[in-house]
Amino acid sequence: MSLRLDGSTIRLEGECRVEDAEPLLVFLQDGDGRRVDLTAAGPLHAAVVQVLLALRPPLDGPPGDPFTARWLVPLLMLRRSV
Amino acid sequence: MSELLETFLTEARELVQQAADDLLALERDPADAARLDGAFRSIHTLKGSVAIFDLAPMAAALHAGEDLLEALRAGQLALDRATIDLLLELVGASEAWVDSIATSGALPKDAPMRGKALEAALRQPLAGDAPAPRAAPLAESPAAPDWLPALAAREAEALARARAAGQAVTALRYVPAPDCFFLGDDPMALIRAVPQLAALHIAPRAPWPVEGMDPFACNLVIEAASTAPAAEIRRVLRLVADQVALAEIPAPAQPATALPASSTSRSLRVDAGRIDALVDLAGELIVAKNGLAHLVAQAGTTDPAFARALAESHAGIERLADAMHRAMLGLRMVPLGRSLVRFPRLVRDIAARLGKEVAFTIQGEAVEADKAIVDGLFEPLLHLLRNAIDHGIEEPAAREAAGKPRAGRIALVARREGEGVLVELSDDGRGLDPARLRQVAREWGLMEPAAIEALEDAAALDLVFLSGLSTASAVTDISGRGVGMDAVRVAVEAMGGRIALSSTPGAGTTIRLSLPQGASVTTVLTVRAGGEAFGIPAEMVSETARIPAERILPLRDAEAFVLRDRTVPLLRLSALLGLPVPPRGSAARVLVTGTGAARVGLEVDGFTGRLDVLLRPLGGLLRGMPGLLGTALLGDGCVLMVLDLPELVG
Repeated sequence: MSLRLDGSTIRLEGECRVEDAEPLLVFLQDGDGRRVDLTAAGPLHAAVVQVLLALRPPLDGPPGDPFTARWLVPLLMLRRSV
Repeated sequence: MSELLETFLTEARELVQQAADDLLALERDPADAARLDGAFRSIHTLKGSVAIFDLAPMAAALHAGEDLLEALRAGQLALDRATIDLLLELVGASEAWVDSIATSGALPKDAPMRGKALEAALRQPLAGDAPAPRAAPLAESPAAPDWLPALAAREAEALARARAAGQAVTALRYVPAPDCFFLGDDPMALIRAVPQLAALHIAPRAPWPVEGMDPFACNLVIEAASTAPAAEIRRVLRLVADQVALAEIPAPAQPATALPASSTSRSLRVDAGRIDALVDLAGELIVAKNGLAHLVAQAGTTDPAFARALAESHAGIERLADAMHRAMLGLRMVPLGRSLVRFPRLVRDIAARLGKEVAFTIQGEAVEADKAIVDGLFEPLLHLLRNAIDHGIEEPAAREAAGKPRAGRIALVARREGEGVLVELSDDGRGLDPARLRQVAREWGLMEPAAIEALEDAAALDLVFLSGLSTASAVTDISGRGVGMDAVRVAVEAMGGRIALSSTPGAGTTIRLSLPQGASVTTVLTVRAGGEAFGIPAEMVSETARIPAERILPLRDAEAFVLRDRTVPLLRLSALLGLPVPPRGSAARVLVTGTGAARVGLEVDGFTGRLDVLLRPLGGLLRGMPGLLGTALLGDGCVLMVLDLPELVG
């Protein structure tokens, strides 16, 4: 299990696989103002990245995964501000 | 202008020059494989750099040039004169385009047409001679990909950083198939595996649906840049190779003359403006130091011991300030080659247009001079070269008839001479005929007929520098030379230089430009005239003399004196300046200015010394005041007017 809803925060934990994309999408669409916490997340599958890019939820971090922190978070934040 | 574009322009100029050099060398020796490789590398690198900007016509033309060079290297085509012409035309167009980008930020309007024509012409030999032209296709996709400029613009910072570190960059665009998730691909994992990532951007391929997003359909476009070799990136992405496009952005060109890497070749590129600011400061220091000399003299009258101590300290500061100033000026020194390198190609072009054959040689490219002088030399020299080819060098047939080799010889030689630089341009063409020059000068009424007759042959040649003669276009047909020689003289003199000409009818002409090496500090002779002090640039003074009053000859309402068996007119500086003219004593103090027929003696009240000053151009009320070159601040706070003798006398 790498996806957990904790109040209004969706926590991604460990390696996030392709099958996590759909539950993530559902969690984000089910409740307004849901946040995504990347602190404990490992490498993100492209399908997961795609959901985050499309829905642009507020992110909590800092991400534990260096690649996510260095390359993805700036993009995901950038998308938010556009 | 963005830093990326600025680097590109600098680099592109170097590459264009390098390619031109190689091509010209190939023209002399078509078998020189190293030069062929060099030309290919320059064009290849330039094409790569162009691809990161939105310069499609230029990129396409360069690409065609690169293919042609590649075929030549592979031996599929033989290198002939027509091919070199074509490649040089590409180089010439690239140069024009780079200039246009530098000035207006875009390619000129005719670029698409010119680029297409060039591309077609460059591709033609490939189509004709080699049925399978692209035997060894280059690694990357044929034309510069259209997505690259946008990526380069977005990631300019990352690219500039990589290029500053001298690294080649590979840009990649990965558009995963929509069903790739079902096939078990994780594009993110693949990108993660790309080594030495320098930039990453992810965007949707199609806009995200407002509702009903399908989390299992991949809708991503991933663009990235990496400093890893393209082959390594290709290996990582080999399983999705059909969805990936790569484009190499070559590393910035290394300095063209690849010196052996050593500590001496380590250099730092500094903006010229900063150097100028330092030179100004060092110049001001010299001026401040001169002020100290004034104090020493003052102290000498009241406290000799203190004055001695002060003088010693002054000497120390003087030594240091001078050394510092010299070192600063040295920073602005650049090799003349900077201006000269473009000439072989230009000479070739001009000669071809005029149907002349010219063997052109350059010597002394390594001689250094101030940047302003080196840059300022280009125009006058180009003018002189044009004249030499157009009017000096005869038609090939005429040369053969005169027993000369078909190809005219033009030599450009630069060397250090004393404190300055001498640039000598000689040709073995038809030369100048003093008799024709005299005749033209008479017809145009440029001088008194008697004065024209009195001119010796050598002095008559200087008539070409008269402004009346130079603007008369008809003169070129008669004298064979003359257009713009006045402009050349003015340009050379504006740099503090002098121009002299010698010629032998039928055997050729030699023009010598004597230029100062540095440009900032001017040595002036200080003189008194009409009770005031003036400065006269030392380089305008050819000699000073004391002429006993009885040897001054009245000439109607003027005066003259004889100097080494030549009669030289004598003018009084105070009269020229509209100042009271004091009575003359037993001898006149005279400085001689000008050369040849334009030699003039100027009588001053006295010489007071020699000074190094920082010459400031005239500003404010004084701007445009005739006869004034500029002003200089003296040590005692006085302002010294520095005179423009040629203007005052002429």
